[in-house]
Amino acid sequence: MSAQFEPNIVAFLCNWCSYAGADLAGTSRTHYPPNLNVIRVMCSGRVNPLFVVNALQQGADGVLVSGCHPGDCHYMEGNFHARRRFTLLRELIEYVGVEPGRFNMSWVSASEGAKWKDVVGEVVVKAKEAGPFKQFRRDKINW
Amino acid sequence: MVDVEKLKKIARETISRDDVRCLIGWRQGSYGFRAAPHFVGKPEEADQLIFSPLCSHNLATYLTLAEKLPVPRGQEPDTRKVALLVKGCDSRAVVQQLVEQGIRRENVLVIGCPCRGVVDQKKVEAKYPDMGAAVTADWGEKTVIFNLPSGRVEAPREEVLAGKCMTCRYPNPLLADIEAGDAVAVWGSDEYTDVREMEAGDPRQRWLFWEEKFSSCIRCYSCRNVCPMCYCEDCILDRLNPGWVWRSANTSENTAFQLARAFHLAGRCIECGECERVCPVDIPLMKLNRKLTKEVREKFAFEPGTDPESKPLQASYRPDDKADFIL
Amino acid sequence: MNNKPKIGVYVCHCGINIAKTVDVDAVSEFASRLPNVKVVRNYAYMCSDPGQLLIRDDIDKEGLNRVVVASCSPRMHENTFRKTLAAVGLNPYYLEMANIREQCSWVHEDRDEATAKAKKLIYAAVAKARLLEPLYEKEVDVEPASLIIGAGIAGIQAALDIANAGFKVYLVEKTPSVGGRMSQLDKTFPTLDCSACILTPKMVDVANHPKIELLAYSQVEEIAGYVGNFDVKVRKKARFVDVHKCTGCGICAQECRLTGRIPSEFDMGMGKRAAIYLPFPQAVPAKYTVDPERCLFLTRGKCGKSPKCADACSAGAINFEQQDEIVEFKVGTVIVATGFDPFDPARKPEYGYSDYANVITGLELERLVSASGPTGGAVLLGEGENAVVPKDIAFIKCVGSRDKSVGNEYCSRVCCMYTAKLAHLVQEKVPGANVRIYYMDVRAFGKGFEEFYDRVRREGIRYIRGNPSEIFKRGDKLVVKVEDTLNAAPLEDEVDMVVLAVGLEPRKDAREIIDILRLSQSTDRFYLEAHPKLAPVDTATDGVFLAGCAQGPKDIPDTVAQAKGAASSALVLLSSGKVKIQAQISFVNENTCRGCAYCVEICPYGAIELVAVSRMGNPVQVARVNEALCKGCGACAAACFSGSIQQKSFMDRQILPQIAALGVMR
Repeated sequence: MSAQFEPNIVAFLCNWCSYAGADLAGTSRTHYPPNLNVIRVMCSGRVNPLFVVNALQQGADGVLVSGCHPGDCHYMEGNFHARRRFTLLRELIEYVGVEPGRFNMSWVSASEGAKWKDVVGEVVVKAKEAGPFKQFRRDKINW
Repeated sequence: MVDVEKLKKIARETISRDDVRCLIGWRQGSYGFRAAPHFVGKPEEADQLIFSPLCSHNLATYLTLAEKLPVPRGQEPDTRKVALLVKGCDSRAVVQQLVEQGIRRENVLVIGCPCRGVVDQKKVEAKYPDMGAAVTADWGEKTVIFNLPSGRVEAPREEVLAGKCMTCRYPNPLLADIEAGDAVAVWGSDEYTDVREMEAGDPRQRWLFWEEKFSSCIRCYSCRNVCPMCYCEDCILDRLNPGWVWRSANTSENTAFQLARAFHLAGRCIECGECERVCPVDIPLMKLNRKLTKEVREKFAFEPGTDPESKPLQASYRPDDKADFIL
Repeated sequence: MNNKPKIGVYVCHCGINIAKTVDVDAVSEFASRLPNVKVVRNYAYMCSDPGQLLIRDDIDKEGLNRVVVASCSPRMHENTFRKTLAAVGLNPYYLEMANIREQCSWVHEDRDEATAKAKKLIYAAVAKARLLEPLYEKEVDVEPASLIIGAGIAGIQAALDIANAGFKVYLVEKTPSVGGRMSQLDKTFPTLDCSACILTPKMVDVANHPKIELLAYSQVEEIAGYVGNFDVKVRKKARFVDVHKCTGCGICAQECRLTGRIPSEFDMGMGKRAAIYLPFPQAVPAKYTVDPERCLFLTRGKCGKSPKCADACSAGAINFEQQDEIVEFKVGTVIVATGFDPFDPARKPEYGYSDYANVITGLELERLVSASGPTGGAVLLGEGENAVVPKDIAFIKCVGSRDKSVGNEYCSRVCCMYTAKLAHLVQEKVPGANVRIYYMDVRAFGKGFEEFYDRVRREGIRYIRGNPSEIFKRGDKLVVKVEDTLNAAPLEDEVDMVVLAVGLEPRKDAREIIDILRLSQSTDRFYLEAHPKLAPVDTATDGVFLAGCAQGPKDIPDTVAQAKGAASSALVLLSSGKVKIQAQISFVNENTCRGCAYCVEICPYGAIELVAVSRMGNPVQVARVNEALCKGCGACAAACFSGSIQQKSFMDRQILPQIAALGVMR
């Protein structure tokens, strides 16, 4: 892909761990690419897997879901449910041909500001490799 | 092996009970290689019941409707049982509906019909084209016998049975109040070869394949209507607020619709194949749904519709669920 | 709200924190062009008084009904700005924030990129703001009473604090007497206070306190309800003794046919009791209890010609017809103070605990050195004429702790100190004793602990660094096989007695409380606190608190401190009389719900249940959320196939436009 392509990544971060970890990355003044935009939810368990399909339809080139490490969920179990759901979702979308690397998931705790920077970097690189998402974007009409 | 006369007798006795509202089975279709769902309200109507390789329909889809009929004012809800004839795969739908509390056990009377496979209408019609008259059928040793107007023919089962039947591991109903026949031997095993072939391909090729299929979807919703597991009062994919999926039948919306339905069936699809059978534009829906059935079996050791005491897959987790892809 | 959204967007400079990297003027100009945005302001410090005043004035004068603040992280100032809205009568949940500092200006260097991203984030915040709904934090009443499960020192202390504050306490204890593990101790480290002397006054207080209802020899069977409104069911087990008549004289126990034949649980099996017994002399309540599993009359239906205890009792207190009694009551808070069990060293067969009578645990030694114990405080091995005083004594620390092979990776925290204490006591009681302690580390972290450890070493007790590999018999000596790691010298140390400093484990019946209260366990299997640092006495269930070793191994000072902490947390609820319920909770559209119960199954707090309703005449089941229990995680909403259960403030129809907003602006 040309160097100009800047992927647009939508990220769902859980309030207690990942969002806090991302804030910590900010407080520590780490730097990472600006391609990722965050939607805050209270728990990774809130993220309906179909949000990922919807995000790809609506203009995202990549989607990230990030939550607390297993066992540390503020609401005890939300991330366990998320883990199972997104394991299946990832299999499904890759099966129909969505490039691997568009959808990512991470566990980032409130103290892992450095890890957040790495996750963002990795997710952006993967989305760049996959290129602009064209397959079932909403503005593309295939008659 | 189901003796049809014995089946009719069971049906007559069942519909004569005070606590049974109606009985649902199959009767001969009016043309070609088809059966039709048959609703028995009186004992004499049971005479039309058949059980043959033409009985493709998964009648369990009617169960969830039975409890939804509006009750006229002043009347009490009819809590009598619905008696249902089920093949092996159909019974899994009944079990899964029980697991999800979609029906109540006391409201259904299951009549189990061990099955040796049902035909794929498209395959049969290709083999014996232009069949206007209604054809009856029966099972042979490893064949299917058709009584064509021109005479009796026998076809090897691989040539005429539905794909799902060749890999069937549950020919005998897993749940039955009345057994209408002796159990049959399991002859199929399932390696999910169709899914593995697709997985092995290049992602670009995969998308080209699915793009063609999804673009041909006309959003008739036949798949959803026939599916025994699709019975939400108000399907999320019909809603306008929020509008998850728009009603336009273009690639984007169709893909979203198909992916959403496939995902909602994860851990629930009992592989009856009805969706694929009824699709008017031949989308290989089983190829899509079976991908998740395979993942659910391999990753979570779970098979929907096999254990009425099980917890739904998407409502449970194990602390040791593996997910190596997580960063 | 029928009014169209009138949104005010406030872009904060945060001094130069945001303004240096994000072009706040360009961002404000962009925001002003968005539909439904009525007012846009940018200012140096939105969280300051003048900044908040801008918002309040605009709400009043411009009739704003939604506020978007583009500034720091909502984790920083969401509450600040919510209060700003509430101060002028606008529902505080009409606020949405865009994080353009921690997740934008502080992490992106390029001004153009940062500005573009800030615009995007505000676009998404405005998209959500349009769809915000007013939310209300409901209040429920708190029953002015507390249940405390477990009457060891933790339960006793918490009970006294709550009762002294004027609230009713139900103190439930499983064994026949209060006091717990502390009553089994002789002296406590590091002060060598007599345990019973400092404990028994509190035990008596608890029995006599007008606000405390002591339910000894009782078990909690069921707790239903939610914070402020717990319905409790307790089973008062039958003692077969009428407590109103029993004077505690003890003649029944002397006369019992099984006297001196049954191992005493209180003495850790080192002493014996009768089938009718008082666990220890200072027991509170001082009432006897018949052991239903050993009593001849209860197990076989007859005891000689007639039960000797009943014959001997001049008060006529024995009553074999007595039944268990169920009591039910309502409380506002629950404190779990159920304590610990010592590690069973039979699980480390190399130490020979099951094979040799002279290998004993720290708690067993504690009973030997206790004046009220089976040997009257003498350190003796064997019985009667065969009793010997051991001279060479070895202590082994970290038995069952810091040990992956038995599944206890944690440190039990008290063993180093109790070993030092017991070693000191043994040295004191046995003239010429030769005491050594085999250790991996010495943890003397508390007040006075290091000084005590020093003292003990100066008294001649030897500390040898090494973890023994096995203990075996040689003649009439026990041999401890160990490497003295500091001298790199393998030893075979011949001793008379080995004391295993066993660690603390969760009680064997800990599971019962978990099922009753829906608690969780940490990886070490003790009860899980809400947050390891900031909420060590809270649990995930509002209104249920933890105190003492039930939450993790700790010594008496820490137990008492935690008990006071738990009592204080309970008192916050009890004294305010009301508790606020989370506003961002889930709710069900009962018209579209089909009662599949996925949400019921998923909810970690058991906040959702199925209820019967009528839909067009048909009886159906739908889910319903208990607002007091819902914590607002949203796991239910993600699972619902029909989208019938939604989480307020995070509804699908609020999130999908956010996704659209972020996708549209590429």
